[in-house]
Amino acid sequence: MGTTISTDLIRGHTDTIILNVLRQGDSYGYEIYKKIIALSGNQYELKEATLYTAFRRLEQEECIVSYWGDETQGGRRKYYRLTDKGQEFYAQNTKDWIFAKEVLDKLILNELNSDKLALENLLEGGINNE
Amino acid sequence: MNKKNNQLNNQVKSYVESLFSGIGTSQQLFDLKEELATNLKEKTLDYTSRGMDEQQAFKEAVISMGDLSGLVADMRLLGQDKARQAVYSTMTARISLAGIVFGVLLTLFGIFTIAMLYFMKLPGEAVAGSGIFIVAGGALITYSILTRETTARFGMNKIRAALYAISIGLILFGMTTAFITRYSTGEMFIAIGSLMVFFLVGVGLFLFLALTETDRRKSSYR
Repeated sequence: MGTTISTDLIRGHTDTIILNVLRQGDSYGYEIYKKIIALSGNQYELKEATLYTAFRRLEQEECIVSYWGDETQGGRRKYYRLTDKGQEFYAQNTKDWIFAKEVLDKLILNELNSDKLALENLLEGGINNE
Repeated sequence: MNKKNNQLNNQVKSYVESLFSGIGTSQQLFDLKEELATNLKEKTLDYTSRGMDEQQAFKEAVISMGDLSGLVADMRLLGQDKARQAVYSTMTARISLAGIVFGVLLTLFGIFTIAMLYFMKLPGEAVAGSGIFIVAGGALITYSILTRETTARFGMNKIRAALYAISIGLILFGMTTAFITRYSTGEMFIAIGSLMVFFLVGVGLFLFLALTETDRRKSSYR
């Protein structure tokens, strides 16, 4: 039996993942979908239904803007582009993620005894900062 | 191949239509349908290029999209706002229709009164005095026509339409006062003098409005 990422875990990061794709160039729905699969090394698929909902939300928050491509065959594509605000949002989310990942690693994997040092370091740091 | 492509086009289109059936239209819904259709078609073609037959590919593509009910609900909300707008615009259409009818009746009443008083051989100023009904009628018709929304144009903003109505009213009023003063004083130069005041203001206002006109054509008629 394989392992999966629970939807609860990924939900808060959908926007950041999309911004990461668009950071690397303008793209449209189905291509973004494929790029996310490729980014995960074929280990994760973000459903298109989730993507379209996120596009609408990100556009309302002015993190992305959309424009129509000029394909003549087989329908126009709706492309998305990252805005400056989206870029900032992505940078902030990345920072938050790196911080959260470290803390979560400790919270989930470490044992209190073996990690006494890490905990002490953390406390000392807190005191020194004051 | 082309025929097959068309068949897929229709299949995708009717699937997307059925997904959002019974939902009030909005620009967003229109765009979303096109976006979904384009991507769904591309995905289906991707599957067929891997050797899947087209019907199977289409089914797989639809299933793999995931649960679209959230999007459908979003669009339904937008559509409801639109329905409210539609009620509102038929409301203004009715007011505008009533304005046109009443304005025309008022103008006709003025014309008939003038004719009647004229043939009663009343003094000229009394005859011309009834022109005030035509002034009011003309202004009302102007306002009502301009605020009317048609299939090709949006209705004009109410303040702007009112200014147009005032300018037409002033021009007509200027002519009425000219006739009245002509008959009451018997002097043409006084008549022209009193015509000038209202007429010039009216024409000035009209020109200003006409030259600052914005495009009210609906996008699909542009």
